[in-house]
Amino acid sequence: MTDVDVLGIGVWSEVFSNWDEFRSVMSGDVMDTAATLAPQVIPAKERRRAPVSVKIAVEVMDQACRMAALDAKEIATVFASAIGDMQITDYMCRTLAEAPRTISPTRFHNSVHNAATGYWSIATQSHQAANAVSGFADSVSIAILDGAIQAVEEQLPVLVVTQEIAAPPPLDSIYATAHPFAMALLLSPAGAHPSPVASMRLVVESAAIDVPPLPEIPGIDLSGNYAARSLPLLEAIDKQQDREVKLPLSASKALSLSISAGCQARRSEN
Amino acid sequence: MRLAVGTYTATSAAGVGLAALQESITSRRSGLRKNDLRGCDLDTWIGRIDGVEDQQLPPHLTHLLSRNNQLAWLGLQQDGMLGDIARLSDQLGADRIGVVMGTSTSSIGRTEEAYTQLLPSGEFRDEFRQPEVHGLHSPGIFVAEATGLTGPAMTISTACSSSAKVFATAARWINHGLIDAVLVGGIDSLCMSILYGFHSLELVSQNVCRPFDSRRDGINIGEACGYALLAREELLPQAEIALLGYGESADAYHMSHPHPQGEGAVIAMDRAIERAGISAEKVDYINLHGTASKANDRIESYALSRRFSKQTLVSSTKAWTGHALGAAGILEAVIALQAIASGVCPGTLNCEQPDPELAFPVITDNAERPVRYAMTNSFGFGGNNATLVFGPIHD
Repeated sequence: MTDVDVLGIGVWSEVFSNWDEFRSVMSGDVMDTAATLAPQVIPAKERRRAPVSVKIAVEVMDQACRMAALDAKEIATVFASAIGDMQITDYMCRTLAEAPRTISPTRFHNSVHNAATGYWSIATQSHQAANAVSGFADSVSIAILDGAIQAVEEQLPVLVVTQEIAAPPPLDSIYATAHPFAMALLLSPAGAHPSPVASMRLVVESAAIDVPPLPEIPGIDLSGNYAARSLPLLEAIDKQQDREVKLPLSASKALSLSISAGCQARRSEN
Repeated sequence: MRLAVGTYTATSAAGVGLAALQESITSRRSGLRKNDLRGCDLDTWIGRIDGVEDQQLPPHLTHLLSRNNQLAWLGLQQDGMLGDIARLSDQLGADRIGVVMGTSTSSIGRTEEAYTQLLPSGEFRDEFRQPEVHGLHSPGIFVAEATGLTGPAMTISTACSSSAKVFATAARWINHGLIDAVLVGGIDSLCMSILYGFHSLELVSQNVCRPFDSRRDGINIGEACGYALLAREELLPQAEIALLGYGESADAYHMSHPHPQGEGAVIAMDRAIERAGISAEKVDYINLHGTASKANDRIESYALSRRFSKQTLVSSTKAWTGHALGAAGILEAVIALQAIASGVCPGTLNCEQPDPELAFPVITDNAERPVRYAMTNSFGFGGNNATLVFGPIHD
């Protein structure tokens, strides 16, 4: 059993670009314009070099930190993705098959799974632990569990971020991620900070469960996106009601997340 | 914190299993060879393990076929690892043991292979349609299925610190009571992405790597696999060595160049020593990251000089194994554990003219002396650092 508070939330997809817009979309509104992506937290020069997978990750990380009004220097990070950046994987494998000596050094160093947390720590000047993990289809649940445990064991806030971007052909026939999605939750030990957005109790249960159905989001189908498995959790936090969400943790285990409403969910500042 | 280290093993170019590794160290025989990796024409030296691709996976694991998983399987069969995992699993329950693996490139070698054999339509051939294999968690999935362990499973991929950080995660999971024991490990195999990628950064040497030598001119890439069982003390009563401390940090400086003053390295070492509850002078031996790149060795040496006195023996073992990247953490943790168990500290192989401009001296000959506390450093791209401290389980 692990008790944590949610201090901040970040979300990004093609139809909502932050938590406020997510809540509006969930209540039936349609955003006027497509979500843009230019995370201000990384300097313009770095932003040009950063792949999309990094940009959506640092964008939601920044949103979550700003909602909590916490200094990123005090926050450890756990980045998770099921399949990593398949655009870079496709570039690397295609180039290696055709002209291996022409591999771009920048794209090579961007290919590491910890690229997003690397860019983040450089941008925020944070020396805190930066992790990058995967649990394949269960990446969301294992990352939230691992981040919550780290928050409690190390007694510091931990920023959990998960994202997937669309896989290009031929990888799209294996991974049906049609649209990018990223979300970040800033977790802290229960009671460590005033006025959390929500509180969560995590319990690992021995039970094989199916992936819960995703909430309907007008204008986008995120069903093939492993990171979007966090949507039932985000919906529960949005509703500000006490409820339990269960996500598969493995073939024989489930992660139960009991959400209780925090103080009035604070609006993000953008 | 004090976690018992149970059975452990390592497989690298310096030997398959602990006895072969120890024999290579005591006889100072390098596992490096001129690059002979099929399909790679780079003029360099590599730490390749013979016969990885000949490993037959058991029938229930063939859907996870990749050279990386074949290496994982080869490594699991050494030093009684599989048997001891099964015994602990019987004792505690398979679901009370977690699996935390480290890797930098997972099974990308398999993805590379798929791209060289695409169908005329541009699609993958059927044998390469392996969703679990082309993702980052391939090592974790493979090891969980191969061992039958059903506790929480995760793969860490933070470049070259990956399989050092598995110890930190395992410690948190056990201390928190999530599970009673964890099988930690790391697997990284030679592949085109890594060889040509490091070549593009001009970090690969055409010569044998020479850590801390004034003539050092780059790294040799290696492959390796290693495992260790970690558990609460009372569950492994035979254990003599404990994981005492870990330290993780970020450089916050550059994606592929270490912080010039080794800021992140010092923070990781400080955190590990503080958590271990010892003072820096207690550390008898440090296995360094010591890649033989110009920058790493200069900066790591400087970072050491900020914290350690010169009675601490330090060395790099990269000239035995090559740089095993995401598997370097576990491989060098095992070498540190072996230093405690055997009392032999490996002197830096190939360091014949120690660089006089370095701030901290490395040992170049093997040193025999009792080692109570041993440490290991792992630093990765993205400025990702991890340090581990091992020592006696009883004072």
